[in-house]
Amino acid sequence: MDFHTAAKYASLLSKDYAEDMFKLLVNYQAISASEVATRLDLHIKTAQDFLESLAQLGVLSKEEVLEKKRPYYRYALKQTRISIDIDLMQVKREPTHNNLSKLIREKENAGARFAVARSDDYITSVTIWTGEGRERTERKIKLTTLQGKFLYHLPFPKAVPLTISDIMQKAGIDENQAPEILDLVQLLEKYDVIEYIPE
Amino acid sequence: MSLVRKLKPDRNITGALVPLSMLLIVGIASLIFGLPTGLTTLAVLMWVYSLFFLYGFIRTGNVAQLVLCLEGAFFGIMFLVFEPHYGMNKVGNSEFKVAYIFGVVFFGFVLISLALTRRLKWRGREIFELAGESVEETGNGYTSRPRPVGKVEYSPQQMNAFAHFCARHLIALPYKTSKNFTLVPIKMGDEFGRLLGLSSDYRDATWVNFDVSGEVSVHIAQKDYLDYREPLAFDQLCTSLGQVFIDFFELYNKGEGVRVIDRMDDLGLGIFS
Repeated sequence: MDFHTAAKYASLLSKDYAEDMFKLLVNYQAISASEVATRLDLHIKTAQDFLESLAQLGVLSKEEVLEKKRPYYRYALKQTRISIDIDLMQVKREPTHNNLSKLIREKENAGARFAVARSDDYITSVTIWTGEGRERTERKIKLTTLQGKFLYHLPFPKAVPLTISDIMQKAGIDENQAPEILDLVQLLEKYDVIEYIPE
Repeated sequence: MSLVRKLKPDRNITGALVPLSMLLIVGIASLIFGLPTGLTTLAVLMWVYSLFFLYGFIRTGNVAQLVLCLEGAFFGIMFLVFEPHYGMNKVGNSEFKVAYIFGVVFFGFVLISLALTRRLKWRGREIFELAGESVEETGNGYTSRPRPVGKVEYSPQQMNAFAHFCARHLIALPYKTSKNFTLVPIKMGDEFGRLLGLSSDYRDATWVNFDVSGEVSVHIAQKDYLDYREPLAFDQLCTSLGQVFIDFFELYNKGEGVRVIDRMDDLGLGIFS
């Protein structure tokens, strides 16, 4: 299961009426949103949204029923067990030859402020400003020591760019620690602090 | 000798503001409370001025700072001696006159000679000129990040001695931590803020850092970078600044510290810039 789907399940299950809602769904063969709403003293829209979301996730089946020419849906439970199973390794940034060999350097006029550690050669945090005018906000990103060392050795704007693996080597960072470096590079690239240079 | 200056002309008047503000304060005190109070105020200000240079001497070991301190203390005393006799026609006694004239002649001569030989001069501008000398390429690329520029072999004792040398000759103000020797070059006029701690943290200023493993890194403050006439290639400028200090260290280590001073004097920058 991906994070997005798991988040939808979690959001639905966290509602304070979720357990009561499932009690009805388990004990009734099929039930409509208005029946649920009146039974649980909820607004019909609240009940309908909940049931519709479960139907979209495939937990419920819905059937259109006509009553006095006015159609509505009846929902029935399709499965009796919900399990949220996320493989956390799916979000790991596996270092590949391709992403470690990308040429990077600091982007010119990035406008970021770098705080340097007093005791050693590494950057402790990067402060970035985003937005314009009154919407302008400051975002401070605290770095791990490894990320700080990496950033310390990042080529300057207009300087000859280096590959990520070369910078890691200069900073004395082992390749198996590449995922946290790649995460930082991706983040700073998003905020226009780092630029990729085509070979 | 560089004929084309890389730095803009020095228009900083911070150095002159301190004596000028003393005059202003004395003038206002005299106007409000009378000339005797003005003289007392001047004496107190001279002692404050003297204390600043005493601190400068303690911090740097530069003897010229001690001379300025003694000068301030001496004239502070003279003004206080003069003050009770003001308007009573008693100050004309020959002891006072002799002490005053000898003081003026002595300190005048010593201070002029110290100024002309640049022993009173903070060498920040020389450092920046030397750093910019070898950089021909332009193209900006400024960043607030420090740049690692190389490695030198040294013992902590050697670096300690070099840091003292830089301070004694007002080349840079050293800051020592357990792992680093950081040298902060200071331009004339900036010494008041830096020594009194009124300027921002020294890590935000321009510095050259020597760490315990011998790594040399350089940071150039944006204010100092903007002081160059042209937007010099920033990475080259950082490397060059680091190299200036590495060269100075090597010269000093060979016992040729005087050549460091000669290199800076050869630039022929003004004694107050």
